[in-house]
Amino acid sequence: MLFTLKEMVRWMRMTGFELWLHMISVFIFSIIAVLKYEDIITQSWWIMFIPLFACDGLNAYFCVIVFIRMCHEGDRRIGALRLLNSIMSIMLLTVFKYLLCRKLNDQESLAPSEVMAPLFILLQIVMIRACKLH
Amino acid sequence: MAVMHRALFTWLTILVFLILLVLRLEYKVTWNWFLIFIPLWLFDCVVLLYITINMIRHCRRGFDRNDVSMRRKVYYMTAVLLKMTFQILLCLRFEYFNFISLYMAMIPFWVLLTVSCTDIFIGLVKL
Repeated sequence: MLFTLKEMVRWMRMTGFELWLHMISVFIFSIIAVLKYEDIITQSWWIMFIPLFACDGLNAYFCVIVFIRMCHEGDRRIGALRLLNSIMSIMLLTVFKYLLCRKLNDQESLAPSEVMAPLFILLQIVMIRACKLH
Repeated sequence: MAVMHRALFTWLTILVFLILLVLRLEYKVTWNWFLIFIPLWLFDCVVLLYITINMIRHCRRGFDRNDVSMRRKVYYMTAVLLKMTFQILLCLRFEYFNFISLYMAMIPFWVLLTVSCTDIFIGLVKL
């Protein structure tokens, strides 16, 4: 719409494959979440969140593989920076999903602002990345 | 618009929307859901305007500066319209018509995600 895939990759500092994985996981999660919301599925919210956590796990694994390959090719510094950048985003997203899951399970009386806190931090990182775009 | 401007505009829209959403979910404000979605309406209007201007330019010149085909622009336009439909249905569901099942509201979103996932997958294969 407003961005091409290449521009999104440059902005988010993610590969196209990672973006695609995120979209697929959100798609599967949205279907399961609606089924749960409409009481067709009665399992815990932790099971509903499996696609999202699996996506984060796969993305983290992918980042580590890229880091190892970059180390083998001699780009250790660039690889470490890339890994740090990606792991930070993945961790913030995972924490957000974890808090959201706890909130939906009524395990803790978390306020929506507390659940959203990791997203706000991630948004600041995204803003810094946007400023670095040419 | 340059990429940086587009990215910052998107960032600002999402930030304001999330702040309004948190305020609404915490019952600090009890505004209508259509008002909470104002940043997203504004974003959609700007994107629609951007695509329309690009389409008009393409028709006048007969080519596009960034080599984006007319078919692709129509796809972008459809995507924005699907997103807007989803948002309208969601607002109607939460504000006025509680009897509407969530499936109905989610249909445009699922269509949009299916098409986008396929598009990105094709893009990845081509790369």
